[in-house]
Amino acid sequence: MSNVLEVTGLSITFATPRGNLRAVNDATITLEQGESIGVVGESGSGKTVLSRAIMGLLPGTATRTGSIKYMGKEISELPEKELRELWGTGMAMIFQDPMTTLNPVRRIGAQLTESLTVRLKLDKKEAHKQAIELLRRVRIADPEGMMRKFPYQLSGGMRQRIMIAIAVSCKPELLFADEPTTALDVTVQAQVLELLTELRKEFNMAMILVTHDLGVVAGHTDKIAVMYAGDVVEMAPTRELFKNMKMPYTEALLKSIPRLETPTGTRLPVIEGRLPDPTKNEPGCPFANRCPYVADKCRAEKPPLKDTGTGHLYRCWFPIGGEK
Amino acid sequence: MFKKFLKTPIGFKLSALWLFAVVFVAVSYDLFPYVQWDQISDFSQGDGPFKVPGHILGTSYDGMDMFTATMHGARMSAFVAVVSVVIGGGIGAGLGITAAYYRGTYDKVMSSIFNMILAIPNLVMSLALISVLANGNSNTPASDFRRVLVLTISLTIVIIPILGRIARSSTLQWSSREFVLASKSIGTKNLEIIRRHIIPNVAPAILAIGFFAVGVVMIAEGSLSILGIGVPGGASWGSLLAIGRANLEYSPHEVYIPVACIGLTVISTNYFGDYIRANLDKRESKI
Repeated sequence: MSNVLEVTGLSITFATPRGNLRAVNDATITLEQGESIGVVGESGSGKTVLSRAIMGLLPGTATRTGSIKYMGKEISELPEKELRELWGTGMAMIFQDPMTTLNPVRRIGAQLTESLTVRLKLDKKEAHKQAIELLRRVRIADPEGMMRKFPYQLSGGMRQRIMIAIAVSCKPELLFADEPTTALDVTVQAQVLELLTELRKEFNMAMILVTHDLGVVAGHTDKIAVMYAGDVVEMAPTRELFKNMKMPYTEALLKSIPRLETPTGTRLPVIEGRLPDPTKNEPGCPFANRCPYVADKCRAEKPPLKDTGTGHLYRCWFPIGGEK
Repeated sequence: MFKKFLKTPIGFKLSALWLFAVVFVAVSYDLFPYVQWDQISDFSQGDGPFKVPGHILGTSYDGMDMFTATMHGARMSAFVAVVSVVIGGGIGAGLGITAAYYRGTYDKVMSSIFNMILAIPNLVMSLALISVLANGNSNTPASDFRRVLVLTISLTIVIIPILGRIARSSTLQWSSREFVLASKSIGTKNLEIIRRHIIPNVAPAILAIGFFAVGVVMIAEGSLSILGIGVPGGASWGSLLAIGRANLEYSPHEVYIPVACIGLTVISTNYFGDYIRANLDKRESKI
């Protein structure tokens, strides 16, 4: 299998009035065709910036270093004009809040056929037919009626389905889903994730699923990258990660998900403290101040990303369960 | 559509009817079987409305029929106002939208130009332009056509920054919305995004200000006429007013009629524009 995406040593820095803000440090990710990866981390850990940077959608204040290869072709230095050729047909993105990603004054039909007429150069009739097919594919009950509706007439779940339909309309090889279910309620979340997985398998798309919820990625991705303060701190195949996690941070994330088995009244464990200031470059492990297993070495020196040899990488001096 | 119109507030109905009447008269003036507006009556000078048969609105002190003069004034005033707002608004909106969408140096240059034009009082600028470009000399005065043309151009220049700034600020607000990014992420070109996503959203604000600007231009044209450099010879409401001013003592209706027309039109355009904007904006407010 060929690699759809190869990201090596990607760092992103924003110039801010308080100094350079390092949003992503030295991230390395590879993705095979049809493979899916979950990028997990708390707010501000750089996961959204990472996905937008790979796609090339960052604002001008950001500087990128490192290499991004799409289908073996280096794209990190391409001008926007050439990148645009890839957007939609090669890479597409689903955004977090379906309330703001649809244009309020245009009908669903017009927005859905936009990519079909602009990118695939279909004529109006053909685009309409395909749009209806797409709506049916994302399980919208009355596709004909839906084409004539305005976004305000739809619920959040419906809108996110429309956004998914728009994103997959040109059959991209690589789909970014940037917290696609965060703005939705729990029952709809499951349906939308199911739909995404289904479409991914059907179109053989690779997918990067960005979320802060480990539970979301558990059943829907092949591997998981955990991010903390701009670093990829642990990366492993999904099964391996849950069975054999090495990073104290991953463990803490998992512990902070509420469980049904715990008796009523039990306090939900939280991760104490806050993310370190991304404009300062302090020595040591960025998680040291919040880590329950912290040792002197952690404060002095930043751990490198270690590879266990089985595709499981982690960034810790004292991993859970010891080395190997 | 007619049923919908019946449900609108009375103010909207009145202003729509008035604007419709003005536009209708302006377009079809030539089809009316009346005397020419500048033809002088032999038997009636300075009579008030409803006093002399054949002159419903009376005659001016010089014997001009006020009714036909007012109708012709509607044509000239509406022409100058609408043409300068449509052209100036088009240019202004185009520059404003692209400036706000692309940002950077282009935006800075555009904003500075808008501010510079706005810094010059518009009457002073029109005065200067007309005096230089359409005055000729006392032996060979500039033709009426040339004066109207320069007047329209100068009012167009006044309109460009007004609508340009409205379009810019409105676009700034919309272009940072996520649906623009979403559209970009499926590979839509910038101009296409502007056409499909920005313009439908900023159009209500531009339309409302555009109607408002028609009123502003009409008043500016009247002011210029009173200063003696507007449309010459009583051809527009403003210049009817300018001529009538001298005869206020003897035939006051000569002033009241054009003033009423200008006033009603300005009020109507304001009300009409406001109502249109409020109704086009409804979809957004429902979210």
